[in-house]
Amino acid sequence: MTALTSHLKLLEAESIHIFREAAAQFRTPVLLYSIGKDSTVLLHLARKAFWPAKPPFPLLHVDTTWKFHDMIAFRDRTVKELGLDLIVHTNHDGLARGMNPFDHPPSIYTDIMRPQALRQALDAGGFDAAFGGARRDEEASRAKERVFSFRAAGHTWDPRLQRPEMWQLLNGRLGRGETVRVFPLSNWTEGDVWRYITLEKLDVVPLYFAADRPVVERNGQLLMVDDERMRLLPGEAPQTRKVRFRTLGCYPLTAAVESEAADLDAVVTETLEARVSERAGRLIDHDQAGAMEMKKREGYF
Amino acid sequence: MNLAALEERTSPGTAHAPGQKLGPMVRLLTCGSVDDGKSTLIGRLLWDAAGVTDDQRAAILHASHNRAVNGERIDFSLLLDGLVAEREQGITIDIAWRYFETERRRFVIIDSPGHEQYTRNMATGASHADLAILLVDARHGVKRQTRRHAAICNLVGIKKVIVAVNKMDQIDWSEERYRAIEADFAALAGNFDFAETTTIPVAALTGANVVARSAEMAWYTGPTLLDYLENVDPKVEPEDAPFRMPVQLVLRASGDFRGYAGTVTSGTISVGDRVVDARSGLGATLRRIATMDGDQPSAQKGDAVTLVLDTDLDISRGAVLSEIKRRPVNADVIEARLVWLSEKSFDPEAGYLLRTATDLTPVTSMSVSALVDFETLGVTPAHECGVNDIADCRILLGRATALDLFGDLPLTGNFVLVNAVDGATVAGGVITWVQTGAAAVGDNVLVLDRARLAGLCSDLGDSPADRAEFERRAQEVAILLRSAGVPVLIEADQ
Ligand SMILES: Nc1nc2c(ncn2[C@@H]2O[C@H](COP(=O)(O)OP(=O)(O)O)[C@@H](O)[C@H]2O)c(=O)[nH]1
Repeated sequence: MTALTSHLKLLEAESIHIFREAAAQFRTPVLLYSIGKDSTVLLHLARKAFWPAKPPFPLLHVDTTWKFHDMIAFRDRTVKELGLDLIVHTNHDGLARGMNPFDHPPSIYTDIMRPQALRQALDAGGFDAAFGGARRDEEASRAKERVFSFRAAGHTWDPRLQRPEMWQLLNGRLGRGETVRVFPLSNWTEGDVWRYITLEKLDVVPLYFAADRPVVERNGQLLMVDDERMRLLPGEAPQTRKVRFRTLGCYPLTAAVESEAADLDAVVTETLEARVSERAGRLIDHDQAGAMEMKKREGYF
Repeated sequence: MNLAALEERTSPGTAHAPGQKLGPMVRLLTCGSVDDGKSTLIGRLLWDAAGVTDDQRAAILHASHNRAVNGERIDFSLLLDGLVAEREQGITIDIAWRYFETERRRFVIIDSPGHEQYTRNMATGASHADLAILLVDARHGVKRQTRRHAAICNLVGIKKVIVAVNKMDQIDWSEERYRAIEADFAALAGNFDFAETTTIPVAALTGANVVARSAEMAWYTGPTLLDYLENVDPKVEPEDAPFRMPVQLVLRASGDFRGYAGTVTSGTISVGDRVVDARSGLGATLRRIATMDGDQPSAQKGDAVTLVLDTDLDISRGAVLSEIKRRPVNADVIEARLVWLSEKSFDPEAGYLLRTATDLTPVTSMSVSALVDFETLGVTPAHECGVNDIADCRILLGRATALDLFGDLPLTGNFVLVNAVDGATVAGGVITWVQTGAAAVGDNVLVLDRARLAGLCSDLGDSPADRAEFERRAQEVAILLRSAGVPVLIEADQ
């Protein structure tokens, strides 16, 4: 096998086990592919779980049309190279209503273009289970998330609906109208994800590596000017800085960090020594206390 | 302790070059009664030994200033904040998972409430742990709660227990009183199957013996909590455990590849070894262990692999591949000890399914024989059980399934009980006794076989997929009949 350390080997085996349990118990699973590092690991594990067969489910990408261009290029290349099925869904209704990340508060824009779009896509595809790359270490309300996380009809998350999970046993018997989000990376940390990417030599979106990029500084955060749609405030002028991203999303809503980490080893070292938690870079989370849990109740994940 | 001094302290570097080995991952359950100091202890461990990020540190310091009564102390327990609903409405006290790493190891802390009304949460959390820290307040010593916590750990299979005798500062760091608690616990542990118990005197608030050695307790020469955690071997594996791999999926791919995918739950297997399907008794020789990283010569407990055999055993999900000599029992009656998880009490008329490693078997009938009092460790005869109860029960299965005793092989000897109608997980249990061929087909038992379900299943042939579909339909029919009070038995493989 590869040179995985014992703890990564254990995490890998556990994730493969989860993939197989879900594929065996649900009729129409789909993998939520958001192109970032977690999705990269998720997809790699899915391939391992069913090898030499292909993963028995399509990928679903919810595209807001405001993702970094590098992300879309990476997505299309990955899908083509691996010969996988990809469903891209955009909330066209939201676009038609003029939704964009500048004129609307990030939380409203994001709600319409992501969770709502995701619900549309899951309903349209009739998917009863969706794999996601969420990790319990990301945020406090995630710390209690299940591996099989149940959603009532309408995709709502209710803490009382969640099933206790004991030992390695995963109960996927659905009640009426229920669907499931499956989180194979539940027990991984950000550090594990990077270490695994390094040891498995996985390709990730170049935005994770430091490079000279055009950015503006706004409220103490660095935003990348990824195309001409970026609206500059009076007095703002793009300047070139050496930056990278710890998480990826819509470019006007994702803050960059200044960094010299231009390759995997440097990123891993920087991540493991990080003094600021990962989510600090996601603008939407600063909106309100317990933002993640509110989103979850609304069916974001 | 002075706040300014703590603010200045930086977290030790926790970087690991990718190739550098972190030791095995350790999953740690923390349990204690309210106010024993559990949150403080975990917070302390994170603060002193792991990567608490600057924004988290700042938030904690800020919140501590806000609520500090004496203006001095950091409230380490703030590192463990919970769900909004929990904070605001006080509902769903649940298990929380936390991740940290020190220089040497990756840790998973499973934090669950200790109070009696949360027995189910604790049992659930404990089922994922390699070892448990039991908190004891040095002023009070071993209490009924401690006994119950130890019993729950034992029930779900935890083999190593650390007793952290906390708040030593409150008893003047007294060795004498500590030794008495240590002896009390040693006596208690004699009732259980623990492989190793360790007692450590600590003061979470000052950090004594958590990460740093305590000057006040020079008489204590054992490891600090962190020392112990970084060095303990989390697994207790018998030398020569029999091979088991419950089949999760049959994988087919081009070039008529056909492999059985699953995770090895016990023992090891090498190419060339004979294996047997426990249910049919059919044997074959292992030809390949296929993974995306190339074929492997052998696989061991914990490995997620795909086995290719030299002959087609015609088995599907739910089968257990075993070594030839020591096989699982093909059981249709089991006795088990379980913890009831659902708010809805046990109902002898309800339709239940037994979810074992990868099999799902309809329950023909189930009866509770006793309730276990984990504080006295006594058993009282009973016929009912409800949420948070620990009960002994007897279960008749609708068909035989391959099982082991939990005490021998935990991962093929455990189960959850599922409500067939709404899918809820209602109980988790460990198998204590198995019997085969005992669910004798009496006059009042309706046998569901291919002949009886010919109409319903007229579209089904004899392929593995069709047989699986037959079994699925038969189970659904069995559930309906069961809820109408008709005992049934499924005979699938005819
Ligand atoms: N004197 C003393 N107090 C402690 C110690 N550890 C915790 N406490 C206090 O005990 C109380 C309960 O602690 P907490 O961590 O919230 O307990 P939990 O309910 O078990 O999580 C708090 O007031 C703590 O400050 C200790 O080692 N010594």
